[in-house]
Amino acid sequence: MDIRLLHPSDIPHVQHANITNLPENYFMKYYLYHALSWPQLSYVAVDVSRPKKTLYDYPRIVGYVLAKMEEDPPDGVQHGHITSLSVMRTHRRLGIAEKLMRQSQKAMVETFSAQYVSLHVRVSNTAALRLYRDTLGFKNEKVEAKYYADGEDAYSMKLDLGFIREQIQDEQDAEADEGEPVGEL
Amino acid sequence: MPQVLSTKEQSLFRTVVRNYEDKQYKKGVKAADQILRKNPKHGDTLAMKALIMNSQGKTDEAFALAKVALQCDMKSHVCWHVYGLLYRAVKNFEEAIKAYKFALRLEPDSAQIQRDLALLQIQMRDYQGYIVSRRAMLTGRSGMRQSWTALAVAHHLNGDLAEAERVLTAYEDTLKNTPSKTDFENSEAVMYKNSLIAEQGDIERALEHLESAGKHNLDRLAVLELRATYLTQLGRKEEAAKAYSTLLDRNSEYKKYYDGLIEAMEVHLDDLKARKAVYDGYAEKYPRCDAARRLPLDFLHGDEFRDAADKYIHRMLDKGVPSTFANLKHLYSDSFKKETLPSLVQQYIDSDKSSANEEPKRNGDTSKGASAAFYFLAQHYNYYLSRDLDKAMEYIEKAIELEPESVDFHMTKARIWKHNGNTQKASEIMEQARSLDTRDRHINTKAAKYQLRNDESEAAIKTMGLFTRAETVGGPLADLHDMQCVWFLTEDGESYVRQGKIGLALKRFTSIYNIFDVWQEDQFDFHSFSLRKGQIRAYIEMMRWEDHLREHPFYSRAALSAISVYIRMHDVPLLNGANGVGHSDADDAAERKKAAKKARKEAQKAEREAAAKKAEPNKPTSQGSEDTKKKDDDPDGAKLAATTEPMNDAMKFLTPLLQFSPKNIDAQIAGFEVYIRRRKYLLALKCLLAAAALDKEHSKVHEQTVRFKLALDKDSETLPPKSLEVIKSEFTLLAAS
Amino acid sequence: TTGDIDEEVPIAAKSAEDRKAAAALSTLDNRDDESSGKDVDQEAVRKAMERLGGAGATNGVVTKKDEQKVVKKAIKVDPADVTLLVEELELTKIKATDLLKAHEGDVEKALRAYIAPAA
Repeated sequence: MDIRLLHPSDIPHVQHANITNLPENYFMKYYLYHALSWPQLSYVAVDVSRPKKTLYDYPRIVGYVLAKMEEDPPDGVQHGHITSLSVMRTHRRLGIAEKLMRQSQKAMVETFSAQYVSLHVRVSNTAALRLYRDTLGFKNEKVEAKYYADGEDAYSMKLDLGFIREQIQDEQDAEADEGEPVGEL
Repeated sequence: MPQVLSTKEQSLFRTVVRNYEDKQYKKGVKAADQILRKNPKHGDTLAMKALIMNSQGKTDEAFALAKVALQCDMKSHVCWHVYGLLYRAVKNFEEAIKAYKFALRLEPDSAQIQRDLALLQIQMRDYQGYIVSRRAMLTGRSGMRQSWTALAVAHHLNGDLAEAERVLTAYEDTLKNTPSKTDFENSEAVMYKNSLIAEQGDIERALEHLESAGKHNLDRLAVLELRATYLTQLGRKEEAAKAYSTLLDRNSEYKKYYDGLIEAMEVHLDDLKARKAVYDGYAEKYPRCDAARRLPLDFLHGDEFRDAADKYIHRMLDKGVPSTFANLKHLYSDSFKKETLPSLVQQYIDSDKSSANEEPKRNGDTSKGASAAFYFLAQHYNYYLSRDLDKAMEYIEKAIELEPESVDFHMTKARIWKHNGNTQKASEIMEQARSLDTRDRHINTKAAKYQLRNDESEAAIKTMGLFTRAETVGGPLADLHDMQCVWFLTEDGESYVRQGKIGLALKRFTSIYNIFDVWQEDQFDFHSFSLRKGQIRAYIEMMRWEDHLREHPFYSRAALSAISVYIRMHDVPLLNGANGVGHSDADDAAERKKAAKKARKEAQKAEREAAAKKAEPNKPTSQGSEDTKKKDDDPDGAKLAATTEPMNDAMKFLTPLLQFSPKNIDAQIAGFEVYIRRRKYLLALKCLLAAAALDKEHSKVHEQTVRFKLALDKDSETLPPKSLEVIKSEFTLLAAS
Repeated sequence: TTGDIDEEVPIAAKSAEDRKAAAALSTLDNRDDESSGKDVDQEAVRKAMERLGGAGATNGVVTKKDEQKVVKKAIKVDPADVTLLVEELELTKIKATDLLKAHEGDVEKALRAYIAPAA
């Protein structure tokens, strides 16, 4: 599975993956809004091994993360937000969701100076909670009552991205020592 | 002469405009009426009222009123502008552009009209017109970067890359200070300019520009990727290799980066050991990486393949990764690999334990090695290149025995039944799988899909309804339309075709056609939004994708299905269908007769209702107006099925299909079928020639060639001599070849 | 005035997710209203505009168009042939005329070219 940036032409299949996997769905235009406002932040996992049936086949999307920067953040702090993340059931346990998240988080810091990233998750979604909390290090911020259309509550979660800033700093220092032409941020 | 308003009324007119902008439509109409009481022929007020009425959904009345407004004041730019806006609202873009141009001639300095015109021009891909508009707009607002960028985009899309670059440079030269590193708009403008330089083919200069102007760019990934590409193109291999290894350290799950690295390292393609070593390095460095372990399986042979595959399989089965088979099945085109993989899995089962596994098993894994291995073999025997459905069933039962609650295993069991041709059993088992995890939409989706394959339309929509939003007016089906759920609409339509419910089938395919219309319209807002956001490369990419939006298989599949329905309707016409045709066709005709009757009834009902409405003209439009506007007057597709000209209706689907997917042989075959029935012999031949060029041996190509000759022999006298001449000579070439 | 409000607001989006999407999409076509750039050198802008105007785009485009027109005019097209193309190939009159002109007004050549499979 290739992990790579989301392109506008991926959107119909991303939309397909979303409505196959999750109850929260969006119009194509909302995906376009993400892809055209923050083209650096959304990633897809693609099955590239499939042979094309016709010349016009698009790559099959088996997972995606749709991400954005919060516009006019209420707390005044630049931060990213995960709008939607899912992986097809047939491709779980490959660590795809985690890999997608890490790419997106890095770009949030590099391109948009995000301080943290936030997301919502159903309180009953233990698999997702494990990923966010245990694997990625998100912290529970609060419970938002009846966040979802069916009345379920959401955990509002946050991850401070300071560790990525430091990582980038370290890389730059290393590069500076080597005199690499593409330099620091 | 146009009427002139008093000072008080002028201020009232400004209120009307403001009301419109604030979407306070009722107030707006009220204020307009107040002006019109004294000045019934005031064009601008009439026009504004029309505009507001249009926003209220009263399109026809709005058009009528706008015409009156123009009659009152032909020289008013407001009237012409409104006329254009109305045309734009009903998507008649050509007429809208004409009206805007009139308005602009009357009021050349109006930024508003100029802007509306420009947006339509770019939506319509009138690049030359757009350049002219953008130049005019730049003159008005030359201090803003986005005015310059917009002009550059106009030249770029028009194919004049050098001019586009010149425009960007001209703006850069006007800057007093170097923009700050965190100025995002500038950062993106640099990358956009870089893409223009590279697209002109001047890679040397593109790299130079990237390393100077792009040095601190905020889009770091783009810089790294472009640098790697440019260095490779320029033959600077050593640096390119370094650039690719930087990229792999960021993301080791991207095949393109490995390919780039190996090319740059000048590893010979035959030197499999060296190639493998590159991947091994990353596998070691990144223990959770899949690509570095999997990709070498593509090029390794013999024992080396066996060893690598064995390790890979052990690792995956130990973890119980459900996609193990899906990750490897592309190797089946190689018969040695096709034999080797299942034997390795069998060995894994026999040895009962993984020895190469160095990673501890993760918590929460329910699939242990053995069941995962049985699952692999079940999928193996279910796959079309290695199919033995009895064996597949045997292995999936073994897997299920070990893990009776596994959704994945039951899913595959249902698939095996599907391949057996038993759609009912497949649907039952998938429903069983669904019941094992009712909170998972993926399995819910599959259950609904299998119900549709078994033509259980009612049950399927009920299943879907478990996850659609309860509050949507119109229920699950309306929600699936709203959310543009293409797969469901397609499968639902295809099921209705099988059931002979032609109206509903056409209804679904038409919904898909309409969704593509919406997707095309969706780009409109981004022509201005993207410039404001400053994300130019992404915008250009969207434009190029939208240019051939309808080549998407989502469209072709629905279009092909719709066309074949129309062809059947043509061949078995409504009234004489029962004569001399097979049983199912007779059913078909009866079904359509029923549909036609229903459509007539509904048309009559609608007429009665309209008449009743007219009788009480002062009835206020209530809150329900939104609903009535959205109400579908043909929910079952009865009107679609009642058509007397199915071949004309088929053209709606066929034209975009042939335009955007000309290399899809099924499209050309469908095109032939439609054109031959319409006696458009040149166009039928065009499709036949295209199909033959794609695949001369296709059985349909042979059949259609024969039919074309027969039809031509019969009809040649009715054809214009010049056409006949061309048809004969070109067809002879085809038949002879 | 509540009536007014009710009338304009579409069916309320219920969940928080839906509200977010609706809010974002409703701002897409906001009219731009920025003041002109503060960081630009007005004199330099004037000069840049002049340069563009001089040897720049519009003139280039116009000449190209004129050239096309000149070429088009030089080829004579039989109206009967245009009608034939419109009828047999279902083209618009403008496209049919262009197709004929692209083939020196030779109708058979035009037909042959049109039905030939794309490379």
